[in-house]
Amino acid sequence: MIRVEGLYHSYSHNEKYAVRDASFEIAKGEVFGFLGPSGAGKSTTQGVMTGLLPLQKGNVTVAGYDVKKAPRAMFNKIGVSFEQSNVYGKLTGLENLEFYRRLFDVPTRDPKELLELVGLDHVATQRAGEYSKGMKHRLTFARSMLNSPEMWFLDEPTTGLDPAIASVIKEIVKGEKEKGTTVFLTTHNMFVADELCDRVAFIIDGEIKLIDSPRNLKLQHGEQLVEVEYRDNGDVKKERLSFIDEKDMHHLNDIVNSGKVEMMHTKEATLEEIFIKVTGKGLQ
Amino acid sequence: MKLLYSFLKDMQLSLKGFYIYIEIGFALVFVAVMLLAVPEYFEPKVTVYAHLDLEGPYQAAAEESLTQEGYDIILLPSREEVETELANDRGSVGLAVGLEDGRIVYDYILQGYEDEKFRNIIKTSIESGFAAEMPGYENVTTVTTLEGNVEKLSDRLNMLPVFLALNAAFMGLFIIASYIFLDKEEGTIRAFAVTPAKVWHYLLGKVGVILVTGLLSGLIAAAFIAGLKAHYLHLILLLIATNVFGSALGLFIASFFNTMTKAMGWLYMSIIVLAFAAVSYYNPAFSPLIIRILPSYPMLFAFRETLYEAGNLGYIYANVLGFTLAGVVFFLLSNWRFKKTLTV
Repeated sequence: MIRVEGLYHSYSHNEKYAVRDASFEIAKGEVFGFLGPSGAGKSTTQGVMTGLLPLQKGNVTVAGYDVKKAPRAMFNKIGVSFEQSNVYGKLTGLENLEFYRRLFDVPTRDPKELLELVGLDHVATQRAGEYSKGMKHRLTFARSMLNSPEMWFLDEPTTGLDPAIASVIKEIVKGEKEKGTTVFLTTHNMFVADELCDRVAFIIDGEIKLIDSPRNLKLQHGEQLVEVEYRDNGDVKKERLSFIDEKDMHHLNDIVNSGKVEMMHTKEATLEEIFIKVTGKGLQ
Repeated sequence: MKLLYSFLKDMQLSLKGFYIYIEIGFALVFVAVMLLAVPEYFEPKVTVYAHLDLEGPYQAAAEESLTQEGYDIILLPSREEVETELANDRGSVGLAVGLEDGRIVYDYILQGYEDEKFRNIIKTSIESGFAAEMPGYENVTTVTTLEGNVEKLSDRLNMLPVFLALNAAFMGLFIIASYIFLDKEEGTIRAFAVTPAKVWHYLLGKVGVILVTGLLSGLIAAAFIAGLKAHYLHLILLLIATNVFGSALGLFIASFFNTMTKAMGWLYMSIIVLAFAAVSYYNPAFSPLIIRILPSYPMLFAFRETLYEAGNLGYIYANVLGFTLAGVVFFLLSNWRFKKTLTV
């Protein structure tokens, strides 16, 4: 669905690249996470893929179109949810969606249904300028679904949302993935990436450092330990045991069989820990 | 259809904003000032306090002449009284006419602030008026105009083309740029850019809003000030052509900048430069090439032609065609530039 080869982009049109030699492929129906701190080159890469920034160097194919000479029809197949909410403040939520749906040449989803999906149906006829930041963000998100995109670009889709709403948004993304939508998810939120993505790319200072599935990364970079709390003669005991060491495995088995386990956690690494380990920098 | 939806959305935004109401309000204020405060003809009546010290037929002829000059003449019995009245009425001039060795002697008594041009006008008109009435005067002066049967507009109506050019045609130059930069600031331009709609749909939708606003304000002013004297078909076509030209020029200038602050200086300067044509419009004797090449110069005269009973249709439609073509060229250039810069 997406193929990026040797992508470079410089805002100052010189050797100071915001994105340097980025290459990756995304298969149809895959949720691909682009992880990196602010200024790492995530939005620039997405900007080039969505035609908002010119392709200066490299090859980029999106939904079967070469973005360098893509016709406007390409946008019937893609949807973009921006990090910064960008809706017409003087129009109502419903008017915003009604306007944008008319710009597509393909069947579009019912704006009222979309507003309901993101929990904005009760303010559908209210001016978007009067919405809270989170509500505007949800309206921007809903707008990106109007044309039921095959290729869906999501830039920080849960940023600024309360946990309950963020959970709704994540469920919507999962639902669209089930339908076969390909998702390019740009975020610095490791939990969102961990929960939604089939594969993630770590980008820092414009360069992609690695690409793999969250599971593989955890297996490769995490510790093979389990932390267990159990009762022993009335006392609560806490131990860290290895998955690899045979003696520890037998001991863990005995504890579990005793039926006195109160808490047990695997100690795999988080994506953020792996990111720091790989890049030497944090995600925030 | 995308163009229509884009236009309707911009119209909707415009009606929910201020600009369209400010523009219409300004047209109404202009109409009110023109009708209530500006006279139809500017004829400043200068009061002349005169003392005539002549004899026989000269005295009668001089009195006859003064009453025909179009001045407000008040004859006084002495020069001293003339000076007293002048002191009381600072807008007046004085005149003492006498005979010296059989020749008429004119003594002008002025306030002191009058410029040389005014002094010469007063001197020439009064002396020639007197001379014409004097016994034995033979008029050998003839006046010929290159254009026969020249139609004159009233002074009030003569101001309408300036409003139409600067407000109805060129105001869009500034406003369309502010619409674009507002969309850039809100980021809505990026949302539009990721739809199948084309850049020209976006730009032309905005041109349409400016056109509706310009037509409304222009026609309000024309309807109230010119009434049935204007030829509305010609006027509407000229308004459309000039308004589109103004908007396209505004788009072209805006395409070189990424913020309103950066573009403001150039846009403001453009309007000021275009406004210079009004100087030559009111004072045809001052029409240097630098002003005649401004697009606002023929525009003003074309608007004036639509107000004449028998306006020059060839001139009007040459302007309609010229401004339409120029508007199309600037629009195409803007579209080409904005394709590369609109979302960057």
